[in-house]
Amino acid sequence: MPQPRTQILLAVVAMLVGQSVKPVVADPPRLYQQIDQLVAEALTDFQGHVGGRSSDADFFRRIHLDLIGTVPGLAEMRFFLEDTSPTEEKRERVIDRLLADHRYGRRMQYVFDEMLMERRPGSNVPDAEWRQYLRESFQQNKPWDALVQEILSADGADAEHRPAARFYLDRNFEADVVTRDIGRVFLGVDLECAQCHNHPFIDDYEQRHYYGINAFLTRTYLFRDPKSEQTQLGERAEGDVSFTSVFTGEEGGTDPRMLDLPVIPDPMETASQYVVEPKNGARGVPKYSRRQALARVMVSEENTPFHHNIVNRLWAVMMGRGLVEPLDCWHSDNPPSHPSLVGLLAREFVKQDHDVRWLLKQLAMTDTYQRSSHSEKSASDDDTRWYAAGLLKPLTPEQLAWSVMQATGVVEQTMAAKTIELQRNEAEKKSEEGNGDDSSSEPPFIAPADSANDPAWREETLRVALKPMVDQFVKQFAASRGQATGFDSNAQQALFLINGPLVQGWLVPKNGNLVERLKYAETAAAFAEELYICVLSRQPTETEIAEVTVYLAAARDQTIAAQDMTWALLSSAEFRFNH
Amino acid sequence: MMNRRTGCNGVDHVISRRGLLTGSAGVVLAGSITPVHAAQLAGEQKQILQVFLQGGLSQLESWDPKPGTRYGGPFRAIPTSVPGIHVSELLPMTASRMHLLSIVRSLDIKTNSHHQGRLFMEMGRRTGTFPYVGAVASKYLAPQSSPLPGYVHISTRGLTDVTEGFLGASHSQLRLSGESAPENLAPPDTLTADAARRRDALRRHFNDRFAGRRGQRAFTEALNSSFDAADKLMNRRELLVAEPTPKDLERYGKHDFAQKCILARTLLEHGATCVKVTHHGYDTHAENFNFHLEQLGEFDPPFCALLDDLHFSGMLEHTLVVIYSEFGRTPKINQRYGRDHWGTAWSIALGGCGINPGVVVGSTNAEGTGVAKREIHGGHLFHTYFRALGLDTSEPHEITGRNIPIGDPAVAAVEELLA
Repeated sequence: MPQPRTQILLAVVAMLVGQSVKPVVADPPRLYQQIDQLVAEALTDFQGHVGGRSSDADFFRRIHLDLIGTVPGLAEMRFFLEDTSPTEEKRERVIDRLLADHRYGRRMQYVFDEMLMERRPGSNVPDAEWRQYLRESFQQNKPWDALVQEILSADGADAEHRPAARFYLDRNFEADVVTRDIGRVFLGVDLECAQCHNHPFIDDYEQRHYYGINAFLTRTYLFRDPKSEQTQLGERAEGDVSFTSVFTGEEGGTDPRMLDLPVIPDPMETASQYVVEPKNGARGVPKYSRRQALARVMVSEENTPFHHNIVNRLWAVMMGRGLVEPLDCWHSDNPPSHPSLVGLLAREFVKQDHDVRWLLKQLAMTDTYQRSSHSEKSASDDDTRWYAAGLLKPLTPEQLAWSVMQATGVVEQTMAAKTIELQRNEAEKKSEEGNGDDSSSEPPFIAPADSANDPAWREETLRVALKPMVDQFVKQFAASRGQATGFDSNAQQALFLINGPLVQGWLVPKNGNLVERLKYAETAAAFAEELYICVLSRQPTETEIAEVTVYLAAARDQTIAAQDMTWALLSSAEFRFNH
Repeated sequence: MMNRRTGCNGVDHVISRRGLLTGSAGVVLAGSITPVHAAQLAGEQKQILQVFLQGGLSQLESWDPKPGTRYGGPFRAIPTSVPGIHVSELLPMTASRMHLLSIVRSLDIKTNSHHQGRLFMEMGRRTGTFPYVGAVASKYLAPQSSPLPGYVHISTRGLTDVTEGFLGASHSQLRLSGESAPENLAPPDTLTADAARRRDALRRHFNDRFAGRRGQRAFTEALNSSFDAADKLMNRRELLVAEPTPKDLERYGKHDFAQKCILARTLLEHGATCVKVTHHGYDTHAENFNFHLEQLGEFDPPFCALLDDLHFSGMLEHTLVVIYSEFGRTPKINQRYGRDHWGTAWSIALGGCGINPGVVVGSTNAEGTGVAKREIHGGHLFHTYFRALGLDTSEPHEITGRNIPIGDPAVAAVEELLA
């Protein structure tokens, strides 16, 4: 407790200098401390339910998966476990290091691609460009409001902002789809049923909410640019929406309106006027764009649902369950589990200029995040809402792919191979220069001399090299669309692990991969340690070492034993979940 | 309105959904359909056979012929086993089994897009993300002990549909590419049966230890059950890759769709809850008449062999059969003798469990250019299928935190089709 100690110190100082000092105002509690307090206050007898802090190993695995999307490597794991600094201090250092890691951008790319595009196929904006846009935005820590404003105002016409237009373009600008997804993804409300009638079960969702958002979009249309043959967005300067209830036959009309904020009428002075009039071959650009107005009002400070939604979604990424759950079902009959916590997070997030990295750090620093997932009691869905124990988070397809490749040694092997390739290229380049032979064709990519140690180069190289493998996991495991916190699994996914050639191939001992290292492990204890640290990111227990010893003694061939145990741990629940 | 009796034959009260969930499957392990096996399945498990004629079957060349009219085309209408009902002469065998089926001739789904039409016909909703018919069947009609996945789709071409909506991966379709087994069903040469057994025993051991110390049992159980399901599927590999008998080949035919129909029968016999068979190639923008002659020539015999097998074994009493497309085809014949996409006035056929046989619902106008009577769309049909199977579609889905009615609350079932 810093406060009493500081006071004592100051009192001593005062005595020494023989002067009185003013009473010291304690620092206000940090956000993460306030979060823990609100979580504790939400449940009577919280202390009676709450579990202990996670072990260092559990925390280390958890924070790696959440911030950089993979289980940790062997060396960093050992280093962390042997670090004897105070727990808070060493954990904060890891959090800061991972938030600055080049894999952070990759992880956020996956998180936000799923959140914004919901694994929707599309070809108007190439995957690679959109993902690069997301990755760089998060690596540079672009504020969330700035990112969303770019996405919602993009028209796909200028090359620089074209990737941002994917949200619209790869929904083919179907107004109903875009309206609904703007509600769900950016505001946390699913106005689906309010399209044809007021929502039958949810009083808050009214047709006017749906059509209020729809009215921002109704003038926009898909435009095929004859020169570039690109699909872009054009907009007319006129057009309104009206609606009829299929239940009651009541009719209504609305100007653009963000949920319950005031309507935004078109400015009179530019009514029906164009910068470029829409014609055959000409993309309509109105003087006043309703779509631009949508982008502005979306990120405005008054639009509370926008801020609530993003803190809820980031909370769900870190904690395994939204404060409002399902994440897109925010309404008065489904209030947040911790109402004042949502408000606090949203206010502070806005105060920090929508700094995603900052918010993730605050969340990672909480006791709530660092709580152990151990629990002897079976938890009903209702119990999990109090965060008394850490929740299981199913690995996303991408986390699973990268973690399996990290554990089995594929990541390391690939890096080693690519580094050698790079060095060979550089050596060839040098010898060519030495020969003065300018006419020889250049290698396709010349990296700077020490790029093999450059984390940016390493990240880029690995991501490109391993993308086909990650894609296979995505194809198999991305069964549902969009960010969600539940878990389900099917036979095909199990078959992919049981019989699939990809994973089976990684169990073949070669080039110092995990199975090969295990094959040559000299003792059962060394075997067990290597296996458990690489796959489960923790030391084996005494019992587990004993099991390994028995299994190895019974097995005729240590390679086969290594394959059996590696496969079984990779397929186990402990590996499948972030816990 | 929802309180009337909606169960199938032999069930004299409204079946509660809990009852359906806990009901056990009458699992038949091998052999052809015998009345005993059929009786075991009857009344215990409701099943669905979907025959999806991909690309858009022409209603004029099938269920709603208009010979001698401006857009009628060259084919005649023939009488069926139900007096007063005529279908195209391209369906002679189906015509003689009309007393097992009913027709809806007044579909208007207000879309001419393959994708949107397919989604509407499967989800019963025009837009949004909802589970397909097969996924809903898997969730609410498949017994816990089901030996096969609840929803199997036999289709040669890859469609990357998200079929389970919000119901979870265990209810997504298992897609079988024609008669070949699903991906990764066979172990690689390097993996012996012994090794696979050892690995699985280890996996279970590790899982039990982990799950014992974690509160969220539902997660760890879902993971375990996916391995159990994989195991069941591997044990039935023979079934999925079995060569058809000469007798079946003779009755069904030897072509691709015939073999799919034989596989569909096998799967239904062995307790799959919803089996969807796709027959590709109805998107006849050119040469509509030649193509329909060929396509329906391929459809008619194996479909009827399958219908007969279900009928004579008694399975039809608890199996709903639906023959549908994503839309129909334009009355207007284009310059390439084709008919184009047409969601405005077209037909489907259905029969079996819970459906009044020999009924025609709705009609189109004289030239087939619009619905004349009883406009129906995918939302009505979705209610109708599940009401026929005994499921109350006005109830919300059993999923945490959401309150989504199973069927679109703005529409209701086609009552005149319900037995």
